Amino acid sequence: MRGRIAAYAGAQLRDHLVLRAPVILILTVLGAWAYAAYTGLTPDAFDPSASVEVRGQVERAFHAVLATFAFAGGALAVQGLVARHRHRGYDRVIFSRPLDPVRYYAQGFVLAGLTAMLIGAAGAEVYGAAVHNVSLPGVAAYVALGWLTIGGLGLLLSTVTRFHAPLLVLLLVADFACDRYAAGLRAAGSGSAIVDALRYLLPPGHVVASLAGPFSQGFAFDLLTVAWPISFGVVCITAALVLLRKRPFGS
Amino acid sequence: MIELSHVSKTYAPRFGRSARALDDVSLRVAAGEVAGISGPAGAGKSTLLSLVLGHERPTSGTVRVDGAEPRRFVQREGVAYSPQRLTLPSRWRVVDALTRLAMLSGVRASDTRTRVDSVLRELGLADERRARLKALPPDARVRVALAQAILADRRVIVIDEPLDGLGAESQEILRDLIVRLRAFDRAIVIASRDTAELQRLADRVTLLDRGRVRRAGVARPATPANVETVFHIVLHHGADQVLAVFPSAISLGRGAYAVRATLASLNRGLRELIDRGALIAAVTPAHASAEVNVVESLDQVSS
Repeated sequence: MRGRIAAYAGAQLRDHLVLRAPVILILTVLGAWAYAAYTGLTPDAFDPSASVEVRGQVERAFHAVLATFAFAGGALAVQGLVARHRHRGYDRVIFSRPLDPVRYYAQGFVLAGLTAMLIGAAGAEVYGAAVHNVSLPGVAAYVALGWLTIGGLGLLLSTVTRFHAPLLVLLLVADFACDRYAAGLRAAGSGSAIVDALRYLLPPGHVVASLAGPFSQGFAFDLLTVAWPISFGVVCITAALVLLRKRPFGS
Repeated sequence: MIELSHVSKTYAPRFGRSARALDDVSLRVAAGEVAGISGPAGAGKSTLLSLVLGHERPTSGTVRVDGAEPRRFVQREGVAYSPQRLTLPSRWRVVDALTRLAMLSGVRASDTRTRVDSVLRELGLADERRARLKALPPDARVRVALAQAILADRRVIVIDEPLDGLGAESQEILRDLIVRLRAFDRAIVIASRDTAELQRLADRVTLLDRGRVRRAGVARPATPANVETVFHIVLHHGADQVLAVFPSAISLGRGAYAVRATLASLNRGLRELIDRGALIAAVTPAHASAEVNVVESLDQVSS
């Protein structure tokens, strides 16, 4: 059984590269363009003789683009897998063969993560050569974190509803909004236990976003900060796999 | 091989009334048998197949395939399943779809191309091999659904509504396919609304109506002795002697032959085959006789 699914890895990888990787790249480019438009970043900022302040602005832009890529890579890692298979009925044809659905979906999900890591590292290599040095292992690890946290949540949602994509976006927007609101309250010297609790109930998207800089600078972060999104992702993926094992087909 | 015992299936949606798709259905399909499941739309045929394939679990009663829980059996051995509607990504080309599914079926990489080509030829799809699934006419889509099911040898074959949208030529292909797939160690279940055609394909037909068995499948009566009929002979060894004894026999592969004969000439021929050292594994009538007991039972239900 393992051999059959492993033999199919090439086809799953091709599907991901042809169908989803271009969308991830387009979303990243759009994110970069939006960031540049919002901050007023111009091509002159990439001049090596630019001031330290301008170079810092470029670096922040890179972090924003990296975060966009990691989020898009994670969110699209499960596109076309569980929910789509169930909705279209592909699962019934595919799993009439001697295959384990959990292993089949898990392989597709892992391949999506590895592809995102490789593309992310390649992009960072080009950026590092052209603009300024970044840590390649750090960038790859950050993309993996995005896949684990955002992709893990996406995988869980896709096993329970076919509307997993809008739900994922909604939850992430709620998380960022909640984080902003909590920051505002803190700045004003007040706090709300409910808002703080909500921040921990919602997916830690804001934590992942804030880690783009520390990761690309070579793992310059507090381990406890990373533990939250990692545990969240692991719990989501485990729950998704358990649900898939219990209910491999859509009803 | 396939056994349903007092099986009921009720769908209970979160909102709205629950619906009983199957009600106390018992059915047994032995190895070597082709069983037909007939009945009007909504009778519960597809639900019954879903239970046999392990897509769903019964609300009550038991379903066993080769003594095991269906999903466990499918995961261990696989089932050749041809769905009512071909559900594969529509952008795939026919040959790519079959190649991918052959890979997942466990066909060895070195044999995949040969196997896919052979299935394409058998189902009359050679001209459509490069066509995208979305561009196929309904008739060809049914044949692709059948083609993907038979990429690998399976002991259980489940075919859902194969006659929907099938032209006359394709129906002939389907009949030949069922004859070829017949084997002493294999159970074939075909569900269809077309009772008359099902009667030709299957050894016996069970009639479902509103989730209940209205008429249990009755094995076809014995073939009249003086009527020439097509028989399906499977040989363990000595297949090279078949053409010497039955010159018009058609090889179906895997030691199986289709032979047209009366009962008397069949028996004479079989004796001669045994005398020549052949070991016969199975002999079954390939096509149904004109007896249409299911049509009778349909009449009973409607009256």
